Formats: sequence, C-alpha cells, structure tokens
Amino acid sequence: MLALGGTAFLAFRRTLRAAKPRAALSVLSPDEYAIFAAVAARVVAVDGDSPATDAVDVAGRADAAMAQWPDSVQVEFRRLLLLFENALTGAVTRTGYETFTASRERRQDERLAAWAGSRVAVFRSGYQAMKRLACACYYAAPESWPATGYPGPPELPFGEIE
Amino acid sequence: MKLLAADRPIANLMRGREIGSNLALSADVCVVGSGPGGAIAAARLAAAGARVILLEEGGSFTRKADFHMQEAEAYPKLYQDHGNRATDDLSITILQGRGVGGGTLVNWTTCFRTPEATLALWRERHGLSDFTAERFGPHWDEVEKRLNVHVVDAAEVNDNNAVLLEGAKKLGIETELLKRNVVSCLQTGACGMGCPTNAKRGMALTYLPDAAERGARVYADCRAVRLVLDARKERVTAVEAEVLDPATDRPTGRRLTVSAARFVVAGGAINSPALLLRSGLPDPHGRVGKRTFLHPVVATVALFDRRIDPFYGAPQSVASHAFIDRPGKIGFFLEVPPLHPVLASLALPGFGAAHREGMKLLSRTNAVIALLRDGFLPDDEGGTVSLREGGKRLSIRYPLGETHAEAMREAMKVSARIQLAAGAREVRTLHKDPVVISGERDVRFIDERPFGPNLLGVFTAHQMGGCAAGADPKGSVVDGNLRHHHLANLWVFDGSVFPTSLGVNPQLSILGIVAASAERMIAAKT
Repeated sequence: MLALGGTAFLAFRRTLRAAKPRAALSVLSPDEYAIFAAVAARVVAVDGDSPATDAVDVAGRADAAMAQWPDSVQVEFRRLLLLFENALTGAVTRTGYETFTASRERRQDERLAAWAGSRVAVFRSGYQAMKRLACACYYAAPESWPATGYPGPPELPFGEIE
Repeated sequence: MKLLAADRPIANLMRGREIGSNLALSADVCVVGSGPGGAIAAARLAAAGARVILLEEGGSFTRKADFHMQEAEAYPKLYQDHGNRATDDLSITILQGRGVGGGTLVNWTTCFRTPEATLALWRERHGLSDFTAERFGPHWDEVEKRLNVHVVDAAEVNDNNAVLLEGAKKLGIETELLKRNVVSCLQTGACGMGCPTNAKRGMALTYLPDAAERGARVYADCRAVRLVLDARKERVTAVEAEVLDPATDRPTGRRLTVSAARFVVAGGAINSPALLLRSGLPDPHGRVGKRTFLHPVVATVALFDRRIDPFYGAPQSVASHAFIDRPGKIGFFLEVPPLHPVLASLALPGFGAAHREGMKLLSRTNAVIALLRDGFLPDDEGGTVSLREGGKRLSIRYPLGETHAEAMREAMKVSARIQLAAGAREVRTLHKDPVVISGERDVRFIDERPFGPNLLGVFTAHQMGGCAAGADPKGSVVDGNLRHHHLANLWVFDGSVFPTSLGVNPQLSILGIVAASAERMIAAKT
C-alpha cells in the first residue's frame, strides 16, 4: 500500500498533446488522438525513406476507422489507450514514470516491448490491438508503398473490359 | 476483344438504403446469408419453385463501383468486423468475408473437393453415414462446371507460389497445382479485395443471379437479429432483421420481418451459431457454438535476393498435403498467401525499426503458410462461439494446446526448409522474437521459442463448425440432412455444419454438400 500510495500521483500526469487533430474527430478525444499518434510513430518508426506517421495522419485514419466499430469496442480501445498512456502503467512495467506521450523515444519503445512480451496476457492483447491499427492505417496509405517496393495495384485494360 | 464478363446484376435485389420503412414479408423459404451455402441453396430452392427471400447483412458490391484493389477500402467493407475479427484475446486473426456473395467475394479462389479421409472420419465418428463422394460427386461436377473450376496452368504459378513448388520438389515433398474458379483471370493478385475484373466466379456472379432470375428476392444490408419460434418451440415462424445503413454499417432503426414455412441459416461458421444462440433455440446439450474449427495458420517468411512480388499473380496456385496425415498428431497442409502492404504489416512481428526493415523487403519476400487440420484427434474439440454483452457482441475462443504447438513447430520447420531449398537467403518465423534461419543448423531453434497467445502470429481464413452435423443430438446441432435436431423447419447450410475441419480450402465442400442437402430439403414433406 505504501508503494502504491507513493506512486499514485503518477496516475494524474497529463497527456502531452504533441500531435493535434487535423479535422474534427468522430471517436477519439484530443488526448486519445495524441496518444495514438505517439504510439503509431513508434510502432511504424519511419526513417528517411518513408513518410512520417503524422504526414499520413495515422491517428486521423484510425479515428475514421473506429467510427464504424460497435460502441463497446470503441470504448474498450479508448480505455486501452488511456491505460497505456498512464504514467502509473510505466511504473508498473518499469518503463519510466512519465506518461507515454511525454516519454523519450527509448522509454516509449521499452513500454511497447514490455507490453508485447508481458507475462500478463491482457497486456499482450492490448499491444496487438494498438500495433495492428497503427500498421493498418499507415500501410493502407499509398504514400507508404514506395518504401516497401509495392508499386501499387496493376493497371487494368479497362478499355477491353465490357 | 472482350476479355471479361460484365457485372451481372442480381434481379430483385434491394439494398438497405432503399428500405424506407419497416417491412413485413412472407415467403416459402427464408435464407439467412448469401455465401456459398445460402447462394446455392437459394438457387436450388427457387429452381424447384419455392418463393425465396434471402437476407444478407453485408452490402452488395460490384467490380466497377467497389473493387479498386485497395486494402484500405476492401477490409472495412468486405470483411467481418471491418477486418478486425479475431479471437477474444486477439491471438488468432480471423479473415472472413462479408457481403452479398459472402466469403466468395474475397477468397483466393482455391477449390478442393472434400477429401475422402475427411468424409470417412465424419461417417465413422459422427454418424454421417451417407456423406460419400458418390453422393456429393454429381453436385461437385455441376458446381465445377458452373464456376469454371480448373487446374491452373504451370505458367500461372507466380514467383511466390514457385517457392513452394520448387523448394518442395528439391526436398522430395509432393505438391500439386491447384484448381481455381476463374474465367480469363488477369492475375491482378487482388482476389482478397474483390475481383476487379469479374474473373472470379463467386456467388454474386453465379448462383445468386440464378436464384434471382427464378424469383428469389435478395435483401442486402439486413442483419438477422433472431429467429422467432412458435409457442411450443417446435418451429421457426419468422426471422427478424435490422436494416443497416451501408454508409455507416449501423442500424437505421427500420426492421424487416420475414415469415416463412421453412428457414435456412447460412451465415457461415461463427455467425450462424451466434444467430442460433441469440434466438434462444432449443439446445438441450449445449452444442451450439461448440466444435468451432479454424485451420489455424502459421507462416514463415523468406527473404530472397531477387524480386518475388508476392502481391501480383494468382494468389494461390500450389499446395502440399504431404503432411496431412500424422498419426496421433495434428496434420497440416501447405499453401502460399499473397502479401500486400497491410496484410504483411499485420503478419510481421515486432514494431519499430525491425518491423520497418521487414516491410522494406516486401517485394523480395515470400511466405509459406501451414494450415492445421484441427478436429481430427479424438479429444480436439476446437474453439467456441458464444455471446457477450447481452448478445450484442460475439465471444470467440480458441485455446491452442500442446498438440497445436507441436504441429505448428513442425510445420514451420518444414516450410523453412522448403524456402531455403528454393534459394531463400534467410527465413524468419512470426514469433514475437523471430527465429532467424539461414541454414539447417538454425531450424532447431524453433523448438526453443516460448508458445502462447500473442507470442506467435496465428491466423485463419477458413472457419468451420459451431453447428456441427451428426447423428447424435447429444453431440451435434443438425442431423445428416443438415436439418436442426429440434426444429423441423430449420436447416443450416454452410461451413458451420462441418463436425471437424476439412484439411482443404472449404468453398467447394460447402457448395457440394449444401447442394445435395438442398435436394433432400426440397423432397422433404414438412
């Protein structure tokens, strides 16, 4: 209890809104948008050959995708983001005492890795949910394809199709 | 030169946006679901003179309007749960089609008849005494002709599939060229996103128009919520459905009720048992949702020094069933998947730089998949489908045990060896921490990786069971005629009736077995 009491203040640390929505959001709050944008940036971790996740607006694409999800799934995913962001989660997983958005990149990667390989199955599931949405939203964007060597869909001889 | 057939509109098709008020309809037969089972049943029933109404929760899509070979568009529109379907713990990603035509909209066109070993097991262990190739054969003959099922030409084997073909040949492992249901295929590689040229002979171009031309009415964007029973709980009297807005995929508030003399549930494995559960149908032995099988898939990815371009060409043209019979163990078969950016990014493990570097090599990457033939071992009960949140959401559970782990490890070893024999520079597993295999000496490390949910990428594109057929009502949901054990006017006509997995891709099994069963339904007196 003493240990918990000593770190409980971490739960109230604020999200760093480094990324701001480009358009009105359908599902995510501005904080949640910033959290997912930060997660996506580390999941995809582009280099000079690829457009940044912010340039593709991965978080905006995720918000649009989530708009079609059932309400209860939306709620679950938003809770997941807030749990992952929470500084107390960082303390529990020994990956720092900051919120995810306020952490340095190395610490952010440590937190993702801690969840990906956690002995707690729910953490691994949570990591998968965030990773899959980030990857799907990034690699669905044609701007991301050149770096993968995917030339895009083939040209069709539409003139010859009835 | 005319290369391809035009869109063939389904006469009498009504979309959700065209339904402006609550509707009460009546028919001789109401079919729920328009995948292979529902489509061929509707065609057979309509041809026999029945007034058929078919409900489909997904939308109605066409080449020109909807199939643009874009993953961003296809997965949310054409797959269950907008492409997000998975087991509850996300440990198994479930690819399952949704829309008018069901799985045939997005499958990779591979066609197999049900193997004799599978039919024999069903006869012996599940009491399906007349599940024979002799009975189903004429139906498969007709279906194969209707869908133009034929063996691919060797020239159609793309470099991705050639890895399996050539690597296996060097190791003395038997392979076969696959049969596909296509006409004048331009080999875009986009089967999984809806065929952009109408080459694929899916249900929306074949049996559904056939049924509609004989008077069947198809309602898209209409989700069956429940089957209504009579007071004595002996017969189904109606299906209640909610009309969805195709733009948002959410209910419009309008309802559609279909009264009929007979009902066919054909929503596919997972959705069919879910509908039965939501409806509270008699299930005294708790069998609905049980024996759900997935052909759980593991893969190894191989890096080559040359371009493989796994995103172009016929997605699947080669398979190996050399390891399907493993006495006392789970057998598996090998195939090859197409790899487009989104699908590849979801499959590749890890995140950050390592994931990025893997994605950069996509054009030189091959994957070989191994599909486990689950349900054949006597104690393999597979997974379960149940309801949560008061029936609003599905719960899909599939525990992977030691027998699965053993089969997956062996399958990965085999596929890695094949890829190396085909000239791969390096092979990787899809473990959280991938095993990197440059030669035979590295293969053994597969045994050392921990196994558990979300520690190894596992997928499924074949869903079976959940409304298992069998002679004994204590162990099954429908009888050998696919008729419900406790409701005389209800049939289940889809892959959910399979009492085990198949050991092959399922579409032809569903079509042939349902066609034969529809014949008996038509002949039945009640």
